[in-house]
Amino acid sequence: MAKTAERFAFATFDVLQSERIAGPRYSYWKSVFQTFFKRKTAIFWLALLLSLTLMSFIQPLISGYDPAVAPNINTPSTWYQKPSAEHWFGTDDRGNDLWDVVWSGTRMSLSIAFIAAAINIGAGILVGAVWGYSKRLDPILLAVYNVVSNVPYILRSMMLMYIFGRGFWQMILAMTITGWLSIAFFIRTQVMIIRDREYNLASRCLGTPLKRMVTRNILPYMVSVIATLIYQEIPGLINTETILSYLGIGLPSTYPSLGRMIDVYWSFVDTYPHMIVFPGVVMGLVTISFYVVGQLFADASDPRTHR
Amino acid sequence: MSDVLLSVKNLEVTFKNGKENFTAVRKVNFDVHEGESFALVGESGSGKTTIGRTIIRINPATKGEIFFAGQKISGIIDRELDTYVIRNIQMIFQDPMASLNERATIDYIVSEGLYNFGLFKDENERREKVFKALNDVGLLEEHAERYPHEFSGGQRQRICIARVLAMEPKFIIADEPISALDVSIRAQVLNLLHDLKNKRGLSYLFIAHDLTVVRYFADRIGVIHQGELKELATAEELFARPLHPYTRSLLSAVPMPDPDVEKHKSLLIYDPSVHEYAQEGPSWREVFPGHFVLANSKEEVEYRAAFTTNSPSRR
Repeated sequence: MAKTAERFAFATFDVLQSERIAGPRYSYWKSVFQTFFKRKTAIFWLALLLSLTLMSFIQPLISGYDPAVAPNINTPSTWYQKPSAEHWFGTDDRGNDLWDVVWSGTRMSLSIAFIAAAINIGAGILVGAVWGYSKRLDPILLAVYNVVSNVPYILRSMMLMYIFGRGFWQMILAMTITGWLSIAFFIRTQVMIIRDREYNLASRCLGTPLKRMVTRNILPYMVSVIATLIYQEIPGLINTETILSYLGIGLPSTYPSLGRMIDVYWSFVDTYPHMIVFPGVVMGLVTISFYVVGQLFADASDPRTHR
Repeated sequence: MSDVLLSVKNLEVTFKNGKENFTAVRKVNFDVHEGESFALVGESGSGKTTIGRTIIRINPATKGEIFFAGQKISGIIDRELDTYVIRNIQMIFQDPMASLNERATIDYIVSEGLYNFGLFKDENERREKVFKALNDVGLLEEHAERYPHEFSGGQRQRICIARVLAMEPKFIIADEPISALDVSIRAQVLNLLHDLKNKRGLSYLFIAHDLTVVRYFADRIGVIHQGELKELATAEELFARPLHPYTRSLLSAVPMPDPDVEKHKSLLIYDPSVHEYAQEGPSWREVFPGHFVLANSKEEVEYRAAFTTNSPSRR
């Protein structure tokens, strides 16, 4: 008998024990990156995107390429060279190394796209968040949006470029003056969808001010929406730059850019196709890697994909 | 009876949808006393949730007034009173799956109200208040770092209660707090609300469609149908002497845990045409002490006659 008393003891029952959560701690951003980096395609395209971006921002510093200076303009033997060990991408109609031209062109196009996208998306989110909440502002902005969006975006930017003239900041201005509107409209709709969800009513009952409502209740729900916006906006703006420059109303000839290259080299497409292929391929790779990385990140930032 | 905490007078709420108007609540009058649980019972679409939302000012009152602790809180009120009302009237929502911010930690959710009004001196005090609120609803301190999706429905509803408790309100509107929960955890949440009421002297406006729950929980019950209060009495009195035909039909719909009774039970279906209101419209009448019914004078006599022979305790 004494033996059993030694061997067996009553287990204590702790009510709170049933409340314990066994799973590991959840962190939203950690899960986002875990989900993202689990995919090999994501790593590949992200690496490509980063190296293309880095290359285009570093290489021009080394080459010092300046479209206003053409050192080989008087030595016709250096013109129109096919790709070789010396000139990887060949040379153009003035004897410039295309490798240098492509990277400084990419840098210019990317800079414009980055700056304009930052302005458009920043202003779009800010205005859209308030727009979705304010019943007084809604009809006014809706009227503005309806009028402006009736004119195609490319026509709007063309008209603005004619007004402002050619140039780097002029082009960013032309892209952003109306560009944020469609993003704001998109965000407004998203905000309206989640605005009246019950957890927001609960926050209202707790007296949460609008500012914290937007930063804590609305924006965290829109990470994947914003990621989608970014990955669509940047390639879109690169395209706009290219089209405007190709139409001859984009950047002036002293600026290298992907659009300028396609504009200038288009006349040699039959005779020296390498001059159009290389800028085209680089632009394609930049655009595609933005799309793929952006899409995979948008997927990963949706908590429904976590685990 | 103790002091009146909340008083709803001739409340009318109309929703405008383009040219069409829909009156969800009309001529509703009731008082909630300090330390009392007042329940509103009615079917879906009867306007009970609208009343709760109007008190907490999510919906504006079209007509009538709402008084809280002697001050008028409906219509436009100044900032100071606004703060006072928010701090003292809080709401528990129906669906704990929808009423928590999925992208915030429990720590933030529970202290959201504290942040809004700066109700803490330093970080330590805030943490303490959050832990206390979590402990009060039977959750652990370690839950503060978790996210809502890691909890079960009952736990989530308790988080909602903790968030409300952190504000230390006097009056809580509980909008069907258990109707989205499993039957097994309903009692858990109800008992918690009941304990908190006794410990902290809270008053509740408890909105429900389930009479059995209300019988257990509420001190007084108001029966609402199509936006109108039909009957109001203490819980015991209402179950003993249900006067209005709608109340009787609600009571007849309560399931009995006895198959024999259930099999031979006759369900009463409320038909508004039983009222003969052509000559004399209904008004709010006190048929028995503290037992109010919406009736005309003919009905009042009938109602009184039906129950004068029966003693309320025996039924």
